[in-house]
Order: sequence, then C-alpha cells, then structure tokens
Amino acid sequence: MEKIGSVLVVGGGIAGIQASMDLADSGFKVYLAEATMSIGGVMSQLDKTFPTNDCSICILAPKLVAAGRHENIFLMINTTVDKIEGDPGNFKVDLLQKSLLIDQEICTGCGVCSQKCPVEAIDFFNEGLSEKAAVSVKFPQAVPLVFSIDSELCIGCGVCQGVCKAKAVDYTLKDKITSINVGAVVLAPGFDEYDPSLTNHYGYGKYLNVVTSIEFERILSASGPHSGLTLRPSDGIIPKKIAFLQCVGSRDKRHGGEYCSSVCCMYTTKEAVIAKEHMDIVQPTIFSMDIRACGKDFDKYIERAKEEYGVQYVKSRISNIEEDPETKDLILQYETDDGKVIKEAYNLVVLAVGALPHQKAKELAETLNIKLNEYGFCETSPFNSIETSRNGIYTCGMFSEPKDIPETVVEASAAAAAVDVLLSDVRNTLITEKELPEEITVDLFPPRIGVFICHCGINIGGVVNVPDVVDYVSKLPDVVYAERNLYTCSADTQSNIKDKILEHKLNRVIVASCTPRTHEPLFQGTIREAGLNKYLFDLANIRDQCSWVHMHEPKEATEKAKDLVRMAIAKARNLVPLEEQKVEVIHKGMVIGGGVSGMTAALNLANQGYEVFLVEKSDILGGFSNHIYQTLETHDVQEFLKDLIQKVNDHKLINVFLNAKINSIGGYVCNFTTKITIGEDEKKEFQHGIIIVATGAHEYQPVEGEYLFGKDDKVILQSELEKILFTEPDSLKQLKSLVMIQCVGSRNEEHPYCSRMCCAEAIKNAIKAKEINPDLNIAVLFRDIRTYGFKEKYYDLAREKGIIFLEFDEKNPPEITTENSHLQVKVTTPKKDVVNINADLLALSAGIVADGEANEDLAKMLKVPTNDDNFFLEAHVKLRPSDFATDGIFLCGTARCTATIRESIAQANSAASRATTILAKDILVTEGVISHVDPSLCIGCNRCAEVCNYGAVGVNYEKGLMISEVNPLLCKGCGDCAAECPAEAITMSHFGRTQIEPMIVEAARVEEKNGEPRIIAFLCNWCSYAGADLAGVSRYQYPPNVRTIRVMCSGGLPKSFIYQAFLEGADGVFVGGCHIGDCHYIAGNQDTLRRTDEIAESLKSIGINPGRFMRKWVSASEGKIFAETMTQFTNQIKNLGPIESDYKKKEIKTIQ
Amino acid sequence: MIITQLKSIEEIYEMIKPYEKILVLGCDGCCQPPRSLNEAKTLAQMLELKARTEGKELKWKAITVLRQCDDRIAATTVRPFINEYDAILTLACGLGVGMMNRIFPNILTFPAQDSMFGGAENHGENEFAEYCETCGECLLGVTGGICPMAGCAKNLSNGPCGGTVGGKCEVGGYVHDCAWIKIWARLKQFNRLDLFTKYRPPRNYRLWSSPRFIDLYTTATNEEEEKEEAKS
Repeated sequence: MEKIGSVLVVGGGIAGIQASMDLADSGFKVYLAEATMSIGGVMSQLDKTFPTNDCSICILAPKLVAAGRHENIFLMINTTVDKIEGDPGNFKVDLLQKSLLIDQEICTGCGVCSQKCPVEAIDFFNEGLSEKAAVSVKFPQAVPLVFSIDSELCIGCGVCQGVCKAKAVDYTLKDKITSINVGAVVLAPGFDEYDPSLTNHYGYGKYLNVVTSIEFERILSASGPHSGLTLRPSDGIIPKKIAFLQCVGSRDKRHGGEYCSSVCCMYTTKEAVIAKEHMDIVQPTIFSMDIRACGKDFDKYIERAKEEYGVQYVKSRISNIEEDPETKDLILQYETDDGKVIKEAYNLVVLAVGALPHQKAKELAETLNIKLNEYGFCETSPFNSIETSRNGIYTCGMFSEPKDIPETVVEASAAAAAVDVLLSDVRNTLITEKELPEEITVDLFPPRIGVFICHCGINIGGVVNVPDVVDYVSKLPDVVYAERNLYTCSADTQSNIKDKILEHKLNRVIVASCTPRTHEPLFQGTIREAGLNKYLFDLANIRDQCSWVHMHEPKEATEKAKDLVRMAIAKARNLVPLEEQKVEVIHKGMVIGGGVSGMTAALNLANQGYEVFLVEKSDILGGFSNHIYQTLETHDVQEFLKDLIQKVNDHKLINVFLNAKINSIGGYVCNFTTKITIGEDEKKEFQHGIIIVATGAHEYQPVEGEYLFGKDDKVILQSELEKILFTEPDSLKQLKSLVMIQCVGSRNEEHPYCSRMCCAEAIKNAIKAKEINPDLNIAVLFRDIRTYGFKEKYYDLAREKGIIFLEFDEKNPPEITTENSHLQVKVTTPKKDVVNINADLLALSAGIVADGEANEDLAKMLKVPTNDDNFFLEAHVKLRPSDFATDGIFLCGTARCTATIRESIAQANSAASRATTILAKDILVTEGVISHVDPSLCIGCNRCAEVCNYGAVGVNYEKGLMISEVNPLLCKGCGDCAAECPAEAITMSHFGRTQIEPMIVEAARVEEKNGEPRIIAFLCNWCSYAGADLAGVSRYQYPPNVRTIRVMCSGGLPKSFIYQAFLEGADGVFVGGCHIGDCHYIAGNQDTLRRTDEIAESLKSIGINPGRFMRKWVSASEGKIFAETMTQFTNQIKNLGPIESDYKKKEIKTIQ
Repeated sequence: MIITQLKSIEEIYEMIKPYEKILVLGCDGCCQPPRSLNEAKTLAQMLELKARTEGKELKWKAITVLRQCDDRIAATTVRPFINEYDAILTLACGLGVGMMNRIFPNILTFPAQDSMFGGAENHGENEFAEYCETCGECLLGVTGGICPMAGCAKNLSNGPCGGTVGGKCEVGGYVHDCAWIKIWARLKQFNRLDLFTKYRPPRNYRLWSSPRFIDLYTTATNEEEEKEEAKS
C-alpha cells in the first residue's frame, strides 16, 4: 500500500491550528476542515488568558493569519467529515462542505452585504448577547475573512446580491462533497460547554442575572457586547457583588459529568481578576469545593487574586439560588468557616460551566470508527494521550479530556509528531514549490513607483474620493504610474499589476487599500512573480484606518488618504531588496536527559530517521520513573519503562551517552556543536541541528524533623510507600492505620507551586493499600484535592472504599508526636475541628522540585531563561509551551514544570514535533526583515545585546574584533537593538531610519493649513496597529487628524523619531504598543516604557507641553479604546493649540 | 572608562544659547554610558526644540569621534566641519572638552556632560563603580586589589579608623562598606594578613596634586636599552 504525504485535521481551534502548522512546516500537505465559518475556536472568544492575563485575540490572531496564508494548508470552512475508509498511511475521506451561498474564492470580506442585510439575527460568537445580520462573518478577525449567509435566517430579499460589487453572492451554490486522500487524520473538534438551561440549573434561563462563565467572558471582552464594560443583563447596571459558582456540570453525577473539567477554577479566577481590573468596585467571591490550580505558576496567580485583587474564596458548594423579584439580585445560602449558615445577596452570579464532550463527538466517532470512553470523550491509549483506538487517527485537545490551552497545544504538536513518524517516508512528496523568475536588479536605478488604489467596492470609494487621490498621487515625484481598481486584491487585478510592472518598468509598488496585516503577503507574492523583490512593496491603509473611521468626513478622509499614500511613497523611495539567508540544516538532534521524556523525544526523532544524541548524566536511563510502579489508572509503569529503554537502546540511530557531562554547547539553530565528557575522561564532540531539554526534576527531600521525617522511621515518603506496596505488600498486613500528608514541599513559601501529581500519587497508593489490607484505616490530610480531569473518578473510588479525607489549612499544619512508639497525628480542620489519629505509618506526599544548580548551569550554556522555581521557562506559557524563545531549542517533561508520565510523554512528542519543523527542512530560510550591523560604525559597547530578547545580536568576543554581529537565524526583526544603538551602527531593515524618517516628514506636512492639529501615531504591528484596524472593522469613528506609522515593535522606536516628529511640525505624537507582558517580542515594550518615560520627562525641561506626547498600550481587541484614545488625544491637542503656541515670538495658527 | 552623566537640557541650552550654529559631537571612546552618533543627534534635536520654545532657530550637525582624548583622531575627524559652526558641544568626558578647546583654539567647546569618575561597569549589578582614583602611587598590591583611595572616604593608607561600625563607614551614615574591613577580609582569605599589619608610610600627595602631566620622552625610558647604548 502506498503512503500519502498529506493529513486531514478536523477542527480549527487552537489544537487544530497548531497541529496543522506543525505538519505543514514539516513537509506535509494539510487539509484543515473546520465546521464553523472561521478557524479560531473557543480561544477566539476569550478575553484574556490565565495565568498571564495575556489578551487572547492578540496572541491568537497572528496564528490565525499564519495558518490562513500557509501555502501547505488548505483551509475548508463549514466542512465536516462524511465518510472515511482505508488504512493508516492511506485513507480516503469524503468531506461535506455546506454551502455558504457566497463564493469563497471571490468574496473579499469587505462586509457591505452584512451592513445592508435587513434581517437582524442573533450573534453566536457573542453568546447571544448582541445581534448580527443573516449575512455575516464569525468575528472581525476571522480567518478566512469571507462572509456567509445563514440560510435559516435569510429571507431571500436579494439586497446583498445587489450591493456585492464583487458578485460573490450566489443563492444557487449547493453543498458539495470533496474526496481527498490522506495518510493520517488528526482530530481536534474540541468540546461543548455544559448548558445549564436544560435543567434550569441554579435558575439559569429563569433568572436574568445568572450567566455562564463563557457569557461572562464575552461581557468582559473589549470586543464583546458592552465593549468591555461589566454590565449585568437584567438592568445594565454594574454588578458590585459577583458570585462565581464552581463545578456547574462538573464533578456532579446528576448534572453534566462526574469528572473534573480542569480549567474552571483558573478561568473563574481570571474572570474575577479581570472584572476587578475593569471596575474597581466589583467584589468577586468564588464558591468552590477545591481550588485546582495545578499548572505552571497557577498557584501564584490564585495568591495574587487573593492578595492584590481581593478575590474571596469560599469553600462551599451552593445548593440553590433564589432571586429577589424586585432587585433581581440573587440570594445564596452557605456555611462560613466558623460554622454559621448565612444568606447573602449578589448582583450577578456566574456559573463556571464545565466541559462536555463535543455534541457531534458520537457522530464523528461512528463515522471514523473510533471508540469513546465512558464519559463520551475520545478513548486514548494508557501512556499516549493522542492515540485513538484506530491506527492512523490521532486526537488532541479537549476531544479526549478536559484540559487547558498549553496542554492542548502540547497535544496538538504531539499528534503531529505521531503523524511525522507514520508518514516520514513520504514527507515533502505533496509539497509543490512555486517557480519564480529571477529577481530584477533595482538598486542601481532611481525609483519608479507604481501606485494601485483600491475602491474596495464602496468601502473606500464611498468615502474617499479615489479618482482625486489617483490624480494627486500621479503628480508626485518618482511616481510613474497610478491607477484605481474596484478590488485591488481580486485575481484579475493581480495579473494587471504584473503587467503594469513590466510595461512601466516599475521597481517599487504601492497598494492603497486595507491592512498590511492581512493583505501584504498577497501583494508581495504578486510583485515577486513579476520579478521584483517582495520587500519593494508597501501598503497604505486607507480603509481600516481611514475610510471606515472617518465615514462622515469625506473631505478630510480624502486628504488623509492622500497623506497616507504620500507617506508610503516616501518610504518606498528608500526601500531596498532584502535577501533571505539560507542555512543548511544538520539533520541530527541532541536530547539532554534520559528520563521518560528524553527517551520518548529521542525515539520519536529516531523513528523519523534522524540521528539522535541522548545525553544522560546518571548511569541509568529512566530517570524518576524508575521509582514509579503504577499510574493512578493502574497501568504498569515498570513494564512500559523496560520496553521504552529497550527500544531506545536497540535503535541504531540513537547514541546513548550515560554518565555524560556537557562541557560546552556552541553554534545556533541548524548547526550546534556540543562537547561532552563521558565518565572520567572520555571526550566526545558532535554536531546537531536542534536541542531538546528534558532534564527532569526530582522528589523533594523534607528537611530533617519536618513531620518527624528522618527522626522516626515510621515517617516515610510517598515514593517509599509505593515501593513497599509493590515489592513487599505483605508488610502492610499488620498495620492498622495509615496517614498521608499532602503538599509537603509544595505550595509553601519555598516552593510556591503545586506539584500536580501528589494528590493522584496519594490516592493511588491509598487504594492499593486498601486492596492489600481492607481493614487498614487510611486518612489523607489535604489542602485541596487536585484530581483534575478523569482522575476525579479515583477520588470518588477512594472515598467509596472508605478512605478518609481531612482538610487542613496551610497555616495550621498537622502536628506529629510520638507516643509509646506510636505516631500521633493531630489535625485542625479549617472549621477548627480537632481530630487525633494514631498512625502506624505516615507517608509524606513530597512535591517535585527542580535541580536549581544544574538547570541554572544548563540555562547559561543554552542562553535560555528559568523561572523563579528553577524550572525552564518556555517561549510563551500559552501558545509555545514546547519552545524556547531561542530558535532550535525545545523543552519537555518536568524540566518545564511538574507533569505526570502521560503528560510528559505528550510534551516529549510535542518537543519532537516542534524540532521536526526544523529538521524536516534541508535549508532554513531566515526572515528578510532583520537588523544589520555596520561594522565601520559599531563601537562595541554591546548595548544591543542587553536589549535583545533572543540573543540574536551582540559583540562576538571569541572573534577578537570588538564589533557587534547579528545572527540572522535568531533575529526576529523587532528593531529594539537599532533603537538602542548609540552609534546608529545597527539598521533595522524595512522599518529603519532611512524608511521611517521620510515618512515622518510627509506625515507632518500639512498641504492646506486649516488650523486642524496634526498628530503622528507610531503603532506596533501586533497590538496597537491591529487595534486601530479593529476600530476600522467595527466602524468606531475618531477625528481624521492622526497619521499612523507602522513599526514592527514599539521597542524599535528610537527617541529621535519622536523629537523629529515635533521638529517637522507635528502638534502631537502618540506611541502605541502591546500591554506590558503581551509583547510579541517577549519584552520589547519594556524598552518602549523606558524610552518614552525619558521623552516625557525631557519634554518638560525643553518647554514643550508634555501633554503633546502620549504613550498608551492598546491591544488588538481594543478597537474601541483606540478610537476613544485618538478622540481624547486630538481634543487634548486642540486645547493645547498648535505646537507653535509652545514656541515664543512666533505667529500662532488659530484653531477652529 | 570615564563615567559621565548628561547635564540637564536647561543647563546645556544656557551654554549654547548665544550661538546659532553648533556642532554636536559624540565620543565613541571609553565614555560610559556610550554617547555616540544617536545620542548626539537626539540631544541636538532636543536643543533645537528648546531653541524654538525660546523663539530662536538653531542649526546643528551631529557627528561622532572615535576618541576625543586623542588629538590626532579628534582633529582629523572634526576639522572638516569646524568652519561652518559657531560653537562645539561635546558628549565626551572632560578630557574631550579640554582636548577640543586645545586643538581648536578659535572656537569654544562646551561640555554636555558631567564627568563623574574613572569607573568600571558591573553588568550583573547594573552599576558603574569606582575602583581607582588615579592617585599616582598604587597601593593595590598590598591591599588585596581593593583601593583605599577610591573606597575609603578619608583616603586612609592605614585603616580602618574608629568610624567603622559593623563593616560600614560613618561618612554618609553607615551606608557604604568600609574599604579597610574589606581589605582585611580579602587578605585573610589568601592568608596574607602579613601585608595588613605592615606599616605603610605617609603617602606622597605631590603625585596626586594637579596639574599632572607626564613627559613621554624623559620618563618612559628603558634602562636595559640605555645600558646597552652606553656599552656600545
């Protein structure tokens, strides 16, 4: 049977996107089938993400765009799986695409149809809280940006067909079945929320002020129904007291599922924190049974919520809610810590609804012939969470078990890793590369600029006088050709642009249309096909940031459009062709650490055919798993481990080095060189393209005397108990009482994190002990039982078996004394009950701690960061859990944070998949937009290295020359180093001084003085510019005084740009960047913060009113905030008068 | 390296106020934090704005010099521009200011910075520290590499004095470490307390009094060579 080098990914949420991106980057053709109208899934509905409070859409939108434009990903929306047959490696799948009634190929996403649609229907994306038209797009940042007609709502009036200038509306389009051949299938259909309205649970559906958590998420969102204001549904007032009820539809046999939904505790805390941030008067209270904050840095987030935001946590499961009929407040009854039962009124109740299996899960399972588990989630194999019951079909994300976003992303990459192995022989067989003509040399010739101005149907043409702009532009110097198009992005215009380039010998091209964030690659591709370097292009945003936001001021909008195009021309004159560097990849990998994670990662890479060097510091493989006998789900770990070690040892592509010490690691992605010492003095040196860090962690060793540990031999560690249980079970038969204490060395001041697996460990051992000796009395002393996901089942089972669980408070730990050679355990519960237990054996559930010194040494060698708890710090806690910020280095397992074996295996495969995206390529092509150092100007001060977050630039001391160098493989092109360089030796290409300074001149130029102030806004590409675009998409109007200049990162703005703007005559200058912590370049905006503070300070001493300068963080979802800020800033400048009014003895312009 | 701090805009402007065209110089030498072309340009822009707020126009050019304390480098770099400007403003340390005034006697050069001290950069602690006061008679060989001139507020060559409490110096209110306690600890570490107990005679303060200069051709001689020459 012939294998096929393509993959079907079902579901376009974050899991589906991640799996698709990994596979497409590893040389496979990907069909991404999404059932709704846009990819993005539930994550696109979220306002913020825990534990960093990152803006969800800000971090997701670039991924959506990247997936949408990836040449190896074929995106199919409104599509489901109809039929599948075949075997692993070669499946034939029928996909059913429901008709959109709008031709996806022709629709430009301009949105006129939606505005004109007379039928107002409910908006599902805002969870039914606002309204939208029958013709719609799922949300403003949707990918692909095409509209569809909801045939159930459509009344067939034909208005949309009439207004669509692109002629995309076609009522006759039918559903269609597409047959494809793929080698493997990855399932990522996601989940559904529990719907409390079915049973009127907690009065939901009956009481207006009871909302679900996802509804509340939309209420909080800046792009939500109330534009970020926290208002309650019944009367639109701000709810002061908000109660959050946990476990609605989770851990409940009557409603929803009996498992734990894993994420609700954290998202509720996040919602409480954000609500408090939005409105300070809000008092959030969270009612829960346990707080399950068992992920990386989650406990710290809970502590911050308590201390900084005053979020109240009450341990109580509310049984019933009543509504006050007059105020519509809700009355909750609960027991306080001191045993009193009180009734309290809340203005709003938020139900933390749990996760249910996807409503189509059963249907999908039947179509694909895969098994579901007892709860209706996808069944997976014991040690590999991505393997379904059918070979060649893999699952990831919430489809198999409730889990948070990082774990979902990990699984998505792990699923891709499984496909990588299955289809490694047919990699790169279905990828076609476009043949491109040789590039025309342009450097030696004066600029010949061609300008194409788009009407965008009536979107631009309806406001801006496009012919006037064309006329104006064609008279500007260096412009040799200018024309206007109905849709510049349509296919016929692309060939027209190519013709015009050849006809007029154009060497720079400008399109004035929508936003470069979505359309730049399209036009760049077009000019490249005509033989021009793709960086000889610039886009003037006259729709999202002009016609859409100045709809009622056509004259001013036309003037602004002229300015924006003139600015683009000024930039284009100085554009130079950029070269993308190519580096050969060494198809070998190094894995550091020989535990389960390291071995799994090594085995995955080796099975794909890549040679692996596995470096282990101790003398055996297996790491901490050597001490684990069984999982909570009673699968045999030792047998699995033996098998894994044998596979690793037998694999001819894996070189295992035991007792090895790393002496040095040199080089960078594609080409590392590592020197190690094996044993005493055997030296080895090898080269490899990637590194996977899997150094693991170890069990916490209690200090002597902690709970009498080390003083009384009846006090042992949980791992020692496990050894006894599985190697000498008979010794347990004489015992009468066993006590376990949780959170030893976890969740305290020294280790302020949850070790994640100890609760499961304790329950596993307790159940096993009870099986061996049913008469044994077992008590587990805990702070919160954190049996997340399906582990909850075993918590239930343990209680059924009569194991006693007793809660204690961190401040009141159990006291242990010895009496007549007996252990006496005294526990004080939070409700101040005192319980004394005699114990024959006391097992301490010791946490997991990282090896601080070893990790620190390795971190220095790799130039990667660690967190406060000495675990390695990934590139992004949410979306890049397996990558380091430095390219080519990946991490997995307990090196990253505490994780179970199953999770570690998923992480290891995930790291392997991420590594494969590099190893699968023969040549790695670098970004064109990077920094360059002019060695003749460099003074070797190394300031660039201090601001670079990627270790991409700095003085190479080994070379002996005190001159800074940029590593094009690591540089991400933020321009921070260029802004910092005291000698102006570093140039940021494409957005450097030569391009931006002429733009500033043009932006400040006022052709006809009319007394209106002129404001120059520097916006970062990822957040503020995207926010400005969203203001356009949402039609939030603001005064047309602002001229925006796009830069990649606000950290790439040297101070001189701002002073220059004032000197050229700008009346106000605005700098917009991502919120602190959200920076696309890790922390570039920290440097913005420093520089802009200095500017604000210096303006005072210069004598310029500091009110003329503004810095504000605007995220990609804060379109309204952007518009409001611009309005407010413009008014502020109007009040201050023209900049000349700050100058003495000068003629002062009058303000109208 | 010479540690410098930028003067306030008001103070700099006050100096260059009478002039209409100024040349702003960066220095790529040892001046820390580095003050090169970008700094010169930004400073000039700020001054131009400042001039406008005072109702004046300021013309400027910003260039940078490899090392302003070397007369040849400074002269060749700056000379081509000198005739077009009324005054020079430099971001170098005081050495640069002095040098510019000496090699271009017909134009006034003003300092944009205060020169603080000769210092070293501790990257880890984000600070510049003074490890040497260029006193002319180096004691570091007997003090374990810790300078009592730069480190001791009283410049004692035999310490510590009675003003140290808990290792902190009374001058400045027990904030700074006592250099002599540190010297003692360091010598003890290497078992060289013999150096500590050895009496150090009063210092030759003539070596430390201004003006100081060294004539390259009479003091920097090589005795061996001289002997050789004498023989031949």
